[in-house]
Amino acid sequence: MLRADPVAIVAAGVVTPIGGDLDAFWSALVAGRDGISTIERFRVDDLRVGRGGEIKSLPPARPGRPLDCRASRLLLAAADDLLRRSRVDTGAARVGVVVGTALGAVEELERALDKDGRPGVAAAALYDSPGRTLARHLGCRGPVLTVSTACASGATALGLAADLLRTDRADLVIAGGFDVLCRFVMRGFDALRSLTRERVRPFDRRRSGLLLGEAAALVLMARDGDARGPRMGRLLGHASTSDGAHIAAPHPEGRGLETAVRGALRQAELEAGDIDFVSAHGTATTLNDPIETAVLKRVLGSRAGEIPVNSIKGALGHTMGAAATLEAIMCLLASRDGIVPPTLGYEEADPACDLDYVPFRARPLRPRVSLSTSLGFGGCNAALVLEGATT
Amino acid sequence: MRTGATRGTDVGGVGTDVRAVGLVTGWGKGLGALPADAGRAAAGRSTIAIERRPLDGERFRRATRECVLGVAAVQALLEAAGLTRADVAGPATALLYVTAGGYGASNRAFIEAAVTGKALHFPYTAPSAVPAEVAIEFGLTGSYLVFVGGATTTIEALGHASLLLARGECERALVLAVETFQECEDLYARVRWLLGRPRVEAAACALLTPGPGRLTVRDGAAASDLTRRARTRAGETLACAPLIALALGLESGDDVLHDTCE
Repeated sequence: MLRADPVAIVAAGVVTPIGGDLDAFWSALVAGRDGISTIERFRVDDLRVGRGGEIKSLPPARPGRPLDCRASRLLLAAADDLLRRSRVDTGAARVGVVVGTALGAVEELERALDKDGRPGVAAAALYDSPGRTLARHLGCRGPVLTVSTACASGATALGLAADLLRTDRADLVIAGGFDVLCRFVMRGFDALRSLTRERVRPFDRRRSGLLLGEAAALVLMARDGDARGPRMGRLLGHASTSDGAHIAAPHPEGRGLETAVRGALRQAELEAGDIDFVSAHGTATTLNDPIETAVLKRVLGSRAGEIPVNSIKGALGHTMGAAATLEAIMCLLASRDGIVPPTLGYEEADPACDLDYVPFRARPLRPRVSLSTSLGFGGCNAALVLEGATT
Repeated sequence: MRTGATRGTDVGGVGTDVRAVGLVTGWGKGLGALPADAGRAAAGRSTIAIERRPLDGERFRRATRECVLGVAAVQALLEAAGLTRADVAGPATALLYVTAGGYGASNRAFIEAAVTGKALHFPYTAPSAVPAEVAIEFGLTGSYLVFVGGATTTIEALGHASLLLARGECERALVLAVETFQECEDLYARVRWLLGRPRVEAAACALLTPGPGRLTVRDGAAASDLTRRARTRAGETLACAPLIALALGLESGDDVLHDTCE
């Protein structure tokens, strides 16, 4: 039986509503900064909710490279941040790209449907277009893959990237997730009545729904034995599974999530007792949070109440395809700096959500092994087991 | 499908057999419906649509056409393999789904709903809606991946399915692809230089199990003879093409695992 060896995570780059690069993102997260604001980039006056985690300014498109697609611009901004932090020859033939997204470049489809739209816009509307734009921009000539397991995409992408390295399909992989806040997705969640008019309160008794956000997050991954110099940590295990239960709602007992968590632990060759910290999906919907809590209690057993669990969606909104990658990066930064960001918005305990959710302020703690969980529409689930760097 | 040869992915000592392929296309059900030459059979038509919804009833009332096509392809696979639903239900079956543009119709319908008044349930706009409906219908709760891309991506998905089998993360893997064109015909016409003709709607599903075969994904630039045959017979089916190639290889008795895989 083949083993799934650990894979090194060398560096990261992000663009988020609370910070335009990794350092700004991390310091804002630890400080408990709220990135939710009134959406300004497109019309929201006909929607029930017009707030979200909107990035107010993006680096301008490069001279000579006009790029209208916001999803691609988010990815390129995250890649620029990543490349500032790591010396990597992306023009090498063996560099792959794996990105996860829930929405792809769907905003371009609206422009393509305009009768006067340019022909090229139709091609740009494909969900894998931003990933290909990124690979082209970086000159990567390895495998270029886009995955779309809804809001678990950012975790699935990291798992798939690790497998490209393990099977020698690439020597380096730039992997992560992205999604834009656009009218399409705002209309969709508005129609589902999933968005809150109040504050996002993951695991809180008063939680009343989520708010959406936009972001891109990328990491540079290499085989563990090949990684030279400083690194952020390692991906030890991953699993993506299906609920096979409902098109929109999670399985009522979290069956698929539990299978994913146990699968990721098995791949990592770890026990639940090895987990020091959990980055939860924690959307702040009435349905998700107690299901996720119940799964964590079943998997972690008697130690469940002792292990800190946070959700960063109160600060950023739900950044969909980017969320799981951002959360994985957060786990590794927590290990590096010995501090776990708080669950913004969590104030009042809910009997159905009775774990330690790191309320109010960041907590001094240096997790060695972290578990990150994700769920998405259509019964998508994913779990990552991550280990922070020891130096 | 073996596209040139630089470096390959050998997924270890565990082999992978392609047991069967289920197929529904604009030409009809199964390989027997494919013409000898799709270009000639199209007689100038740019798109060969699957006109009749293959499944209906209350269970699929809200589901999109592409979701129903995905379910129909898996049903066709079970018939071809002589399996029951109980044989594939549960966590031991991995589901890997690939589409290049199968979400276009639902995305468009949602965008245009303000004008048409035909509301679409938002979760059906996601590419993952198709494998979700398949997983619900057949009780699949194992490993799960959703790729967006064309034929090359399907080959990557086949390689990944083989890896899951080799690691013992599943006992069998379904690699499913669905492509529809009809609802976005005007958009595809705008980028016609990117696609072959005729564009043929298709849904295909391959069952992979551990066995004596070996599956290798290689980097390269050229299509294999079998892929070219699939394109000649079926037309442009994007992500479905490698699965149709597998079906042709199985049917003709070609040494498919040497031609498409190694």
